[in-house]
Amino acid sequence: MRLVLAALSLAAALAAPAARALGPDELAKVVRVLDDRQRNSGDWKALCYMEAKEKGKTDVVYELVVYRRDADDKQMFLFTKPKSEAGKGYLRVEKNLWSYDPSTGRWERRTERERIGGTDMRRDDVSEPRFAEDYTATWEGDEKLGVYDVHRIRLDVKPGVDVSFPVRRLWVDRASLNILKRQDLALSGRLMRTSYYPRWRKIYSESKRGEVWYPEEIRVFDEIEKGNSTLVLIREIDLRALAANIFTKAWLESKSR
Amino acid sequence: MSARTDALRVLLRIAFRNLAAARVRTAIIGAIVLGGAFLVVLGSSLMDSIDRGMRTSIQGSLGGQLQVYSAASKDPLELYGGLRGEPQLEPIEDFSRVKEVLSRVPNVKAVVPMGIDQAMVATGNVIDVALERLRADVRRLEEGDRSPEALRGYEARKAHVRRLVGLLRDELGQALAIVDLEGREAEERRREWADLTNAASDGFWAGFDGDRYGHLELLENRIARLSMDGSFTFIRYVGTDPDAFFRAFELAQVAKGEMIPKGHRGILVGKQYAEEWLKLKNARRLDLIKDARDRRGRRLADAKDEELQRWVRENQRGTKDILQQLDPLQAEEAARRLRAALGSEAAGEDLPALLARLFRVDDANFDARYRIFYDQLAPLLRLYLIDVGDTITIKAPAKSGYFNSVNVKVYGFIQFRQIERSGIAGMTSVLDLLSFRDLYGYMTKERAAEIARLKGAVGAKELAREDAEAALFGGGGPLEGRAATARIDERSLLEGARAPGPAQDPAARTYTQEELDRGVALNAALVLHDPAKLEATRRDVQAAADRAGLGLRVVDWHAASGVVGQFVTTLRIVLYVSLLVFFGVALVIVNNAMVMATLQRVTEIGTMRAIGAQRRFVLVMLLVETATVGLAFGLAGAALGGAAVWLVRAAGGIPATNDMLNFLFAGPALRPVLGGASVVVSLVIVVVVSVLSGLYPALLAMRVTPVEAMATED
Repeated sequence: MRLVLAALSLAAALAAPAARALGPDELAKVVRVLDDRQRNSGDWKALCYMEAKEKGKTDVVYELVVYRRDADDKQMFLFTKPKSEAGKGYLRVEKNLWSYDPSTGRWERRTERERIGGTDMRRDDVSEPRFAEDYTATWEGDEKLGVYDVHRIRLDVKPGVDVSFPVRRLWVDRASLNILKRQDLALSGRLMRTSYYPRWRKIYSESKRGEVWYPEEIRVFDEIEKGNSTLVLIREIDLRALAANIFTKAWLESKSR
Repeated sequence: MSARTDALRVLLRIAFRNLAAARVRTAIIGAIVLGGAFLVVLGSSLMDSIDRGMRTSIQGSLGGQLQVYSAASKDPLELYGGLRGEPQLEPIEDFSRVKEVLSRVPNVKAVVPMGIDQAMVATGNVIDVALERLRADVRRLEEGDRSPEALRGYEARKAHVRRLVGLLRDELGQALAIVDLEGREAEERRREWADLTNAASDGFWAGFDGDRYGHLELLENRIARLSMDGSFTFIRYVGTDPDAFFRAFELAQVAKGEMIPKGHRGILVGKQYAEEWLKLKNARRLDLIKDARDRRGRRLADAKDEELQRWVRENQRGTKDILQQLDPLQAEEAARRLRAALGSEAAGEDLPALLARLFRVDDANFDARYRIFYDQLAPLLRLYLIDVGDTITIKAPAKSGYFNSVNVKVYGFIQFRQIERSGIAGMTSVLDLLSFRDLYGYMTKERAAEIARLKGAVGAKELAREDAEAALFGGGGPLEGRAATARIDERSLLEGARAPGPAQDPAARTYTQEELDRGVALNAALVLHDPAKLEATRRDVQAAADRAGLGLRVVDWHAASGVVGQFVTTLRIVLYVSLLVFFGVALVIVNNAMVMATLQRVTEIGTMRAIGAQRRFVLVMLLVETATVGLAFGLAGAALGGAAVWLVRAAGGIPATNDMLNFLFAGPALRPVLGGASVVVSLVIVVVVSVLSGLYPALLAMRVTPVEAMATED
């Protein structure tokens, strides 16, 4: 009988996915892959849909185009719908985030942690991630997320680096190495947001000469204001080179003239 | 009849004899009664005066006599804001209908639309603001404007920005000298320092005209962000028809600037708000010191007055705002003026040293320095962050969920007479109704349909937080797929959505009364011909609104004032409870004293009974005795209370030492008025309390029989 039980235990152990700890090198490799997959050496332009739900309020819906030039650390958001929001935008140049409203013609300096369009989306949700550069990673364990086997990885911000959230936790699919879930935490450890990335797409990039991954769907749930959530859909991607002068105030202003 | 008069005369003689015979007891009871009457007269006179003051402040500033708002609102209307911010009111969708119906109600003189809310005003940091102006000049130049005026303005602003960069470099240079950084942060600081050195160099400015926009971008993105100034402030406003508002609220007046022209967009900034939040800090501190010295008798020599000492210290150290405002020519002129005004000791000093000297004040030189600041320096400075003539951008989260912004011209500062110093009303600015509606962003049917179309086109599945993981990751399947590059053309995406051109510029238009009235308001103030008929008119207005199906709630000014009104109600309750306790204790004390007195007089009462006095006579005799004490000392107490009221008034009243009191007193001091009603009420109360406290001993005395009296003697 004992022999049978031992054999069954051994069989069960062999059948279960390997749950050994990710060593420092393997962990660093995983984090580098996460960064590298979304990195595009050239320009990046995406047509997005954003829908924010706030408890007791009307849904806020936008169609917007997001532009990135990661090499120069530049980014821009141009809202195209609804009509009342068309022409509004954000321009990020290095550490400056500006918001623009064509109805007043005014630029306002905003903090990098600005909630884009008043939703739960931050500008770095659609930026090139720099997990390896900005954070120190720790493997917390392997577990199941729904039917998927995932690594759970904790990221703590490195000293002197300014990021939206100092602590992050990632659930990375072991098979595809796509991020499926992310928690954003305050320094105190308080959970601020949980994001889900259920669908990823890859696209060939001429500038990178390789594949670039992007999340087709991002669902952000606010953990402080329960009931608030934001859905971001990246509907189309255009990886061709953008005009040289595109990341300027003058360019964004011209879109609504 | 004469028998009754005789009996009363006898009773009074007996009462006075007894009161005189027991002086100590009479004095004790009298003192209590006197104190009570004094408190009632003084307390109720003060409360009545506060009530009057509050009525003046509320009715004359925002309240009118009645207020109406949507009955569907969850929160009650609070004109001056509640403890949890502004109340959430459902909109009155068409104010013109409300105006039409309510104007017909007898005794309603005016119906004034309102919408009270808070919004952000972007002020930018000092360098951002200067760069924004320089960018506007550059835009004009690049568009071909080469007029001498345009060129002069451009050169002056360029010089100003250059000076700001130099000041920032000096400031950060000092900071860098005392910090010891390592690694990435040190690298970043080194880069910032290199940028700053470049931007302050002659070469940078020599090349500015060669690539104006490029140089501006560098200054905006690399330099301005290093200046850690505040970038926005909050403003509380009432969106209204300014014309109707000024006609309805007699205390409102334009303190500086001019009235918003009829039918135009614009804002009158609350004067008190401007003083507290928008004024140059050095000027504000000088004003506060002056006020403390002139009105409160405080002295700079008083080392224990930490607040005054702090203001003086902060003024000497915090001269950065002044230095940043001045362009090179202005800075030179300011230094010249200060050298001349501050005397020979200041000769040869540079501007920072001169400013420090100017603000080094004591009791002897304060008035002179104050005048130097306002006469010599202030004309070169911008004293308010937002000033008359500016166009400001106001931004607020709209009810549709989006952020809305409007540009409005500041036509002036508004204040409310008598309560100029109170922040309760003085913090509120007056904004035109159309700008309010733009900020409010009511969700129209067209907008809602557009949102629904956008959502429908995407067809995104709604997911509840708790079901998300199971729904997204419970079914298995591939997590990634392939995509093809697309052509995204923002030009076609933005088709049909363009900012209004000059012909449609909303700020340039004059709006008709119909356009002003037709649209959303959150509440409306009703001003009555005869405020004395307030309650009857409230009922009439409610009935008229109900008949017309307007769905309105009608409240009086007191209810609409929210916590402000509750404060006075609380004060009144405290006064009444205190008086109740006082008279409760008084009743027990007087009652005990009278019982003792009755027991001492058993023989006398028995004898009276033996010679024919009826029980009722004994009862009345003792009641007359206590009533006499009550009336006599009550009159004295009321007279003392009246004298106290007169004295307080003669001494200039009770000073309003804070905002709340200034508002409640409707002025800088409460000058109480003796009310006839207060005297009558106080007398009635003390006589009733006296009679009640004498009732039990009188009943005891009534039961005394001659036999008992003789037995007691035995």
